[in-house]
Amino acid sequence: MYDFIGKTFPRHDGVAKATGLVEFTFDIEIPDMLYGRIFKSPYAFAKVRRIDTSLAESLGAVVLTPDSVPDRLFNPRLVSIEEDTFKDWRVLTYTPRYLGEPIAAVAAPSEDLAQRALEALKVEFEEVYEPILDPFKAMAPGARPIHERIVRGRTWVEVRNNVAAELRYSEGDVELEERRSDVVIERRFHVPRRYHVQLEPKGAVCKPEPDGSITVWTTTQTIHNTKILISQVYGIPMSRVNVKKVPIGGGFGSSIHTNLVTLIAVGLCLKSGRPVKLVLTREEDMVHDHVSFEFYMRIRAGATKDGTITFGEFENILDIGAHQVQAYPLLGTALGWFVSLYRWRAVRYYGRSVYTNKVPSCAIRGYGAPEVTWAVETVVDEMAEELGIDPLEFRLRNYRGRGEIFWGQGPTVKSVIRSDGVPELIARGSELIGWRNRGDPRSKTGRYRRGIGVGRGFHTSGAGGPLSGAIIDYSGAIVKVNEDGTVDYITALQDHGGGTLDAHAKIIAEELKIPPSKVRIVWSDTATTVYDVCTHASRGVYVGGEAARRAAAEVRRKVLEYAARILDAVNPEALRVEYDRELDDAVIYVEGAPDRRVTLSEVARIAWQRNWGSISASVSYRATAAPPSFTVYFVEVEVDTETGIVRPVRVVAGADAGTVINPELAAGQLHGGFAMGWSWAVGDEVSYTEDGVPAHRLSVADYKIPTALDLPKPEEFVVLFASTYEPTGPFGAKGLGEAASNPVIAAVANAIYNAIGIRFYEIPITPERVLEALRERG
Amino acid sequence: MLSVNRINTYRIPFTFEYYRPRTLREALEILRSVEGAKVVAGGTDLVVDMKFRRVEPKALVDVSKLEELRYVRLVEDYVEIGSAVTLQELVESEVVRARLPLLWEAVNSMASWQVRNIATIGGNICNASPAADTAPPLLAYGAKLLLTSLDGVREVGIGEFFVGPKRSIIRPDEVLQAIRVPVHPAGYGWSFRKVSRTSFDIAKISVAVLLKVDGGRIRDPRIALGAVAPTPVRARSTERAIESLSLEEALEVGPRFVEGDIAPIDDVRSTAWYRREVAKVLLRDSLRTAYERSLNPGWVHEG
Repeated sequence: MYDFIGKTFPRHDGVAKATGLVEFTFDIEIPDMLYGRIFKSPYAFAKVRRIDTSLAESLGAVVLTPDSVPDRLFNPRLVSIEEDTFKDWRVLTYTPRYLGEPIAAVAAPSEDLAQRALEALKVEFEEVYEPILDPFKAMAPGARPIHERIVRGRTWVEVRNNVAAELRYSEGDVELEERRSDVVIERRFHVPRRYHVQLEPKGAVCKPEPDGSITVWTTTQTIHNTKILISQVYGIPMSRVNVKKVPIGGGFGSSIHTNLVTLIAVGLCLKSGRPVKLVLTREEDMVHDHVSFEFYMRIRAGATKDGTITFGEFENILDIGAHQVQAYPLLGTALGWFVSLYRWRAVRYYGRSVYTNKVPSCAIRGYGAPEVTWAVETVVDEMAEELGIDPLEFRLRNYRGRGEIFWGQGPTVKSVIRSDGVPELIARGSELIGWRNRGDPRSKTGRYRRGIGVGRGFHTSGAGGPLSGAIIDYSGAIVKVNEDGTVDYITALQDHGGGTLDAHAKIIAEELKIPPSKVRIVWSDTATTVYDVCTHASRGVYVGGEAARRAAAEVRRKVLEYAARILDAVNPEALRVEYDRELDDAVIYVEGAPDRRVTLSEVARIAWQRNWGSISASVSYRATAAPPSFTVYFVEVEVDTETGIVRPVRVVAGADAGTVINPELAAGQLHGGFAMGWSWAVGDEVSYTEDGVPAHRLSVADYKIPTALDLPKPEEFVVLFASTYEPTGPFGAKGLGEAASNPVIAAVANAIYNAIGIRFYEIPITPERVLEALRERG
Repeated sequence: MLSVNRINTYRIPFTFEYYRPRTLREALEILRSVEGAKVVAGGTDLVVDMKFRRVEPKALVDVSKLEELRYVRLVEDYVEIGSAVTLQELVESEVVRARLPLLWEAVNSMASWQVRNIATIGGNICNASPAADTAPPLLAYGAKLLLTSLDGVREVGIGEFFVGPKRSIIRPDEVLQAIRVPVHPAGYGWSFRKVSRTSFDIAKISVAVLLKVDGGRIRDPRIALGAVAPTPVRARSTERAIESLSLEEALEVGPRFVEGDIAPIDDVRSTAWYRREVAKVLLRDSLRTAYERSLNPGWVHEG
């Protein structure tokens, strides 16, 4: 049915990436460039008395201190509307609140000199406070305030008990529903902080232009929000800040917000009047820049004997670290994931985000969904067991599916579900994994025990909806036809490496019936693109792809108008377009008169030669829905009961992503999503010593993520795509990136339970914890 | 105060002299005359330590290209391995595979191919990490180290070499020239096992076992463990306890004794408790494998 959608083509940047020719921020070199280094706070909570810059300056370095940058609070993330944006950050600070918080910065003509200048800075501390590392201690009476006053929108607000933000919500009568329940289960869950391990550490290059403007290259998931934030913090008009899109080595949420390195590089550039490059080392990136959120969740839920879920109560405490990135909006999305997983008749929620003296947390793939899904899917599994109902049957009976209202990202983003592949994925997946023969953990014996678990979840495709809500979500695209019939596609939307823009190229190709190789993806910048909020929330294909499709559709209309003139048709409606394999071009012809035909290349050439003008379109697009992409994982594990080591044996990864545009890249998302989820389930964690130093402070040498050898063999990893079509998406497509990892922890934990009969309420489920639990049980 | 601003893993954050001598003698002269000089080969441990400023040598003497240190040779009843031989070269060496199968098994499990291509056996030993995977097999084989300085060569047993985490008896003016490993004794079974966080990680616990079976009885067992004490250790009391026992008895007795031979700690990789418990499990697994291999001499490569 399609010429290009659903088929595999080489990636536009594949060869360049494989041969190392792609330039990342780190690779950018500009004549006369200075190299920056950040002076990071050696204490987790302290107050600086003075900074002596003289020695560093005498070495020839430019030094930036809190006095040399605007004293203006901001939040590095601009995705929420301003009223919901909590501002407590400064570019540089005299009051460091986490180990590594930038106090000053230097720039010098060589990397070695920059390092020497950094070491030559004399920073004198007035006070060093005992850091508060535990959110419960932070909330306790008498705890030292980490922030006293912050700005919400444009208003100062007091911070009480170190609670950065809170959200309460209720729906229905929880007490009544609990009385009607035959089974009630309450559990507490803990998810530690994790590091994103995105391939590329964060960095920025800032260059002053002769006209007084600046150009910025940086690791970011959003060039436009970066431009806006630089403009707001430094008071530069947006037309004088141009942020270039540079290939990014992954993000996983760590660059949704504008990275502090970017703002510091801009400060150094403005002060020195020279180009400045500032790149974090891997250790700075992982120890001093960002981690994911830490969750303390309590869930209480009930169901009746006939297998109907009744109510769900959810208490959620987030340890956010020392500053807010998404502290408030994440309270809303965590609730959104909870509410949208099952048809609770009554819901009560209390969420709090709490400051601690640790590195600020930011979103990680799934934005709370993997954590909430794990907790809910554990409780749901337990309820099904207690009721004696097959867990799959129990899920099918109670999940939110087609026709129901669904919360996209938080209470202000609601829409109706129009496509749903859950029944198909459960039916096919359970068959493939051998669900019926998985056995009862109580009957399993021997050293090596196998278990099969299921996890069902979803993610939104973007954060759009019929009402404007608290989240900014729209995209834009420019498509223009060159004079030889090739096409330039200009978008601000960032591709994290997953191939999002290749999907767009195929969508444009399909709309115009030209081969994807004729669509050039232009490396653009904020000056030449229209606004796109950010590549996050699995919106790249669904929202950005639809923007591209609409721009292509407008181009197609213009092509047909010109073609009608050329072919002397009565009007464009008389024309048909199809892809001609031999000509490798779109052919436009009059229906019923196939000899009246012209290729798209000829139309472009004639329009140029006859002065008809360029064929182009610029589109700004807001999606009125954020449809759920459902995923169902079946995982088989093997537990060595003597060492506690859990090994993944087989995986069936089922995804309802609507129409699949790039089958191989989509499968890659599922492989990667599993690897990341597996790592969260059994592997990685950032813990802290009493000084506020991450225990893994050394390097990635001690922060382990699975290697290829630690994951299932490719032949034991089956990918399933549901045969669904999302009516609001481009050619029926939905998102995938986050849905691909959301139910993984749940499926793994349920599989471990099925193997050894022990539930874990804290991740990671390390060999040490497994062995201890097995010994405790005896 | 944590020296966060003194660490820079893009650049080694201090200056130092770099020497690449053409002969071992030249290397020894530099080590004798330049104060604060340190030997470097693959640098997979040392350079990382320098970036983190755990060590700040004033000079590095690179021995990785010295042909005098790059050979594997079968000499009568032992195999002599030059210290600058890379781990990958050991994996690919037919002599090592056939004559030192226990060492081969350990090296084959180490790191990734890329790291094995630059890391050397001498570096693995001289870094003196309690978790060095080459150490337990060399302890079990009773290897000797040739430490060379301008004063001559001294031969020390590997058991005397390690004195604590990252500490050994090597003097600053000495180079580990070669390792002499007695060839695998005929009829002995062997087994190297370890557990680590991921496939390419260093060990949480490693165990090397060498033993002979005679009339259903274990003879001359040699057991060494890594990452469970301040140095790699021989489990002498366990060895004595299982001497002349049947496999079933040894599986019962060995784990009880091994606890006394080790002194594990909590660290970033694991806990003392886990190491103690799993050392027993790995010992059992290794005893079983070594026992079976001993009964099946066809498993020993004759090169």
